Amino acid sequence: MNHIRVLIADGVTVFNLVVLSYFFVGDGIYTVLMLLSLRATWVHVRRMSYHALDALRHSPLTPAVTIIIPAWNEQDVIVSSVRSALQTDYPDVQVIVVDDGSTDLTLDRLVDHFGLVEMDGTRHHGIPTAPVRAIYINPAIPKLRVVSKVRGGKPDALNAGINLCRSPYFGNLDADCLLETDALLRLMDPIVNSGGKTVVSGGIVRILNGCEARNGQVVRVGLPRTWLERFQVVEYLRSFLLGRTGWHLLGGTLIVSGAFAVFHRATVIEAGGFSHDTVTEDMDIIVQLHQWAAEHNRSIRMSFTSDPVCWTECPSTLAMLGKQRRRWQLGLCQTLWKHAGIMFHKKNGVVGWLSFPFHAYVEGLGAAVEFLGYAVIPVGIFLGLIHPGLLLVFFLLGVVYGGFLSVGAVLLEELTYRRYPRWRDLLTLLLVAVLENAGYRQLVLYYRFQGLVKFLEGSSHWEKVAHVGATVEE
Amino acid sequence: MVNTSDPVTSLALMTLFAVVMGTLLLVAVAFFRRWQQIRYARHAHALHRQYRPVLAKVLSGARGPCAIEGLRELSLPNLELLLDPLFSRRKLRERQLVFLQALCSELGLIALWQRRTANGHARAGDAPSALKPPDSSDRAAIRHLLRAKSIRNLGKLRHRPSWPLLVTALDDRHRDIQWVALRSLGAIRAPESFPALRERLHAAVREGRHSPPLPGLQAAMVSFDLSCAHELLPLLRQSDSQVRRHAMEILRNMVYRKATGQHRLTLTKQLLTPPMVNLLVERLAVDPSAEIRSRAAEVIVFLGDERAVSVLQHLLLDRQWYVRMRAARALAQLHPTSEPIHLALRQCLLDPHWRVRETAINTLIALGQEGKNQLFRHFLTSENEVTRHQIVEVIEGTGLMSALVEEYSSGARGVDALMVEHLASDIAPLGLSGVLRTLNPEARKRFLDRFLPYAEAKMRFMKETQTELETHARLQPALQFPPQLAA
Repeated sequence: MNHIRVLIADGVTVFNLVVLSYFFVGDGIYTVLMLLSLRATWVHVRRMSYHALDALRHSPLTPAVTIIIPAWNEQDVIVSSVRSALQTDYPDVQVIVVDDGSTDLTLDRLVDHFGLVEMDGTRHHGIPTAPVRAIYINPAIPKLRVVSKVRGGKPDALNAGINLCRSPYFGNLDADCLLETDALLRLMDPIVNSGGKTVVSGGIVRILNGCEARNGQVVRVGLPRTWLERFQVVEYLRSFLLGRTGWHLLGGTLIVSGAFAVFHRATVIEAGGFSHDTVTEDMDIIVQLHQWAAEHNRSIRMSFTSDPVCWTECPSTLAMLGKQRRRWQLGLCQTLWKHAGIMFHKKNGVVGWLSFPFHAYVEGLGAAVEFLGYAVIPVGIFLGLIHPGLLLVFFLLGVVYGGFLSVGAVLLEELTYRRYPRWRDLLTLLLVAVLENAGYRQLVLYYRFQGLVKFLEGSSHWEKVAHVGATVEE
Repeated sequence: MVNTSDPVTSLALMTLFAVVMGTLLLVAVAFFRRWQQIRYARHAHALHRQYRPVLAKVLSGARGPCAIEGLRELSLPNLELLLDPLFSRRKLRERQLVFLQALCSELGLIALWQRRTANGHARAGDAPSALKPPDSSDRAAIRHLLRAKSIRNLGKLRHRPSWPLLVTALDDRHRDIQWVALRSLGAIRAPESFPALRERLHAAVREGRHSPPLPGLQAAMVSFDLSCAHELLPLLRQSDSQVRRHAMEILRNMVYRKATGQHRLTLTKQLLTPPMVNLLVERLAVDPSAEIRSRAAEVIVFLGDERAVSVLQHLLLDRQWYVRMRAARALAQLHPTSEPIHLALRQCLLDPHWRVRETAINTLIALGQEGKNQLFRHFLTSENEVTRHQIVEVIEGTGLMSALVEEYSSGARGVDALMVEHLASDIAPLGLSGVLRTLNPEARKRFLDRFLPYAEAKMRFMKETQTELETHARLQPALQFPPQLAA
């Protein structure tokens, strides 16, 4: 009996050390990212006060871009997001909507609203995709083209869009998103300024819930009404303003939001296009590009800029949130597993030696470590291995440190973009930043753990998050 | 419950306390910043409200001495705050720029901005004594943000005498300052500054220097007038293909900028010198680099030179598909066009690369009625289904189908009418039905009145042919020799 007790005690001690290392590695790196982001975002905002986008707008060197909108059963939001994409302030832009075998009225609404007619003609083959059924156009709106194809998933729809795209760059835009008019111009700025060496450029995604939109544009920014949505506002701020900016500065970008990003078409085609192996094609393509560049000795850059804004609808119910987070975690694990060869590979630099291992340990395995921590620690207390007081202090430290990082993200927003203009909004955001770590974080952790379990089960099921049109539209 | 004498617990408690204090500090900074911003915004708003009428008068040219006096009372930071929106605004009219430049000059702002530009570009090796001794305002002036804004303002005002200062700012240690200086030089477009940019471009490409940035240099040089293009000659003659490529890209974009402002551009001797033309036609059009050949094609088309046509015809047969594509695209700018060009483009309709075929279709459409006739004739006589479908795709995508249907409804004859009948009955029924839906009822009726007899006749003909074929198939076994006889 004593032998078993010693074995359990050793196991619990080792696990506690893993939990502690997870806490220190995770929060430590996030603190470094926060400090880096504070400075970089501040500098970027100051720079934009004298950096004229006008020059880019009128420069003959600004390349053409095609926005590809993959859509599957998005009848409630598709028209406004296409309108938003068509209104983009960019000298040469095309919009291709790929209806990926919708079973609702997505295609009919597009045809009716934009007066589209089916066209005859040829199909150009490129990356293999599910069959294209028809292409719709309206000669009066030459910038728009709608493709109807057999269902093949979001990566397949993006590949079908790439096959029709003629421009050197393409942007993907989720069907539930609204673009700010200058977002594309801001996103292309680092690409043009790098002389084409930047092959991926991503921007920030903000929560649309609670805002007012008209004609595909956000006209009033506000906070959502429910706490669940508010928590996500702060979560997105932390993820984009701290996480992505920081990793970009370190040269370790591993994720660019699938909601809206711009890619160099030829590079993506050379790397094999969007893959069907994972349920998070956005992360997969980035890691794939890193791997491809290392294998082919190509020097590529990826950029993240925090001011091109894409507004997206976040889940407003627990069920939808669960679906979304399970899919994200499943996709993360699938991508990390698929490209595990990148880790600690001499050619992969910061990505291989820092970013990838961090994501694997803190974001991937972390879900299990943190979740099991809540289960194992009571065992430790029961066996007398952990003092309850010490546990309480560490728990508080974890919660407060999370709050510190979230408040840091809100501060960064306040120092730079100040999208939420009212005092009440600032107070709410700060309160949400503090409260988020006691309850909401644990809930998301539970969903992440479920995602991890699904990965271990070998599932690859895409859980669809329904978008209901959270904004006021004319 | 908590044992504070335990070293681990006390360390954890201290960390907890530090994190709580840190969080409170961040909250305090957020509140302070919000308060500061509101105060700043109120001040700026009040200033603009008070001086908006004066500024409006100044920009319209109807200013009086009192207006200027009113502005003179403002401190320099307030004056800059007041004028800043004018400089960050998207576009000021030419007339407004003239008045704004006069105002800034009178208020001493231009001198201030020049001083800031000059004082700020401390290079890495410069000793502090080499700089002008800073007074209190200069201390502020050397701040990066103010310097960048000053350079931007000089560029926005197109203050030509400032170009030497801006060229010097290209060697500044701040990359941002280099970028802003490049943009300002591109906005001012002083021909005297072009050679300095050329030298830096050469160094950037040849020696791989990162400052000033190559994309910024290209963007600035492209903004210059085409009369400066002869300065690119030394670069275009370089043995280094990268240098030639960048110079060619700049030349191409300069020409296209010029072309967008004019109905039909012809590159006369004043715009492009004879040595430049000779270099383009004789060397760059046959350059070993396909990138250079393709860009040369896009410039040569504007020469209005007889040699240009033969060079372009040659480039339409280039081994690289994108050279052929760019040559085909360039031909859309050719005026007047001739039969050999149309035929050469018609040959491109059989090109193995679909992008070349598509470009050739678009070019033939852009070349007017004769180009369209050639395209339609090809469509009606070609048996290549891929090209025929591609032609249909372009015709529908560009809206040409609507124009053709309208012409057909109004009784047009010839190849256009034949084209519509073929499209409607054979290859493009979907596109046609779409067009008919959008056509006004009267035109639709006229179309159907004319088209239906044709369609019925065709149906009858097809039916007869079908019957004939079936009869032939039935009789076929009877007409065949018995196997033993055949052997």
